[in-house]
Amino acid sequence: MSELKTGTDLVPLARKEENAIVAQVQGEIDLHNSPELRSALLQLLLPAPPKKLILNVSGVPYMDSSAIAVLVEALQKMRKAGGKLYLTGLQPRVRGLLEIARLDTIFVLKSTEDEALKAP
Amino acid sequence: MDANERIEIKTTSDPANLAGARHQVETFCHELGMSDGPCAEVGLCVNEAMANIHRHAYGGAVDKPIHLTARRVEGSIEIQIRDWGNGEAPTELPEWKSDPLKPGGLGLICLNQLLDRVEFAAQSDGMLLTLAKRI
Repeated sequence: MSELKTGTDLVPLARKEENAIVAQVQGEIDLHNSPELRSALLQLLLPAPPKKLILNVSGVPYMDSSAIAVLVEALQKMRKAGGKLYLTGLQPRVRGLLEIARLDTIFVLKSTEDEALKAP
Repeated sequence: MDANERIEIKTTSDPANLAGARHQVETFCHELGMSDGPCAEVGLCVNEAMANIHRHAYGGAVDKPIHLTARRVEGSIEIQIRDWGNGEAPTELPEWKSDPLKPGGLGLICLNQLLDRVEFAAQSDGMLLTLAKRI
């Protein structure tokens, strides 16, 4: 396991575990700071996306559509590289917005990081 | 009308102001007796409406005025958001995204799904958006 730096308080912890990158995301995310989240996630996908990108969003009480767009962009980059994006620990407001966006069945949702790490 | 049953927010189109505005509106919703879920939905819709004003009406400018009022009207909360931008209303209020992975449009879908009334009224110098949700 190795720690990764993202340079933003929105992603205070990230680590590489074998073929996965696990990142904690925290804070309310809207159009003001979603570009910062985008930069951090794209940085994590360099030089090559892992097989799994696991985003623990249990510390995110709120997202708006601009944050969802960032997640979709990361999902598409992962898919293009043959990988999967997992979201863990969703709070109700974030889950609700994913449902409105019809993305709750497109992202792989897990309760915990461990579940995501063990998933096929 | 009771002074406590109306709030007014005069701000600018800087996205840095989104959080403050939605928090104030959510607090007001709670004061009117709305439960957590609907308060959050109204806050999200205010966020999305103001973000669209920043992006579309003001073309990304951060220093343009946005005036918001929220008040109780009979059994609903009514929010009016005035801007002095290009005055162009969306051509449609979609209910669903036909392709969830296609970017854009989610903000308007939130307005359509989560609110009871959404009205864009073009003004001679901008737009007046009225949003309402039953308490």
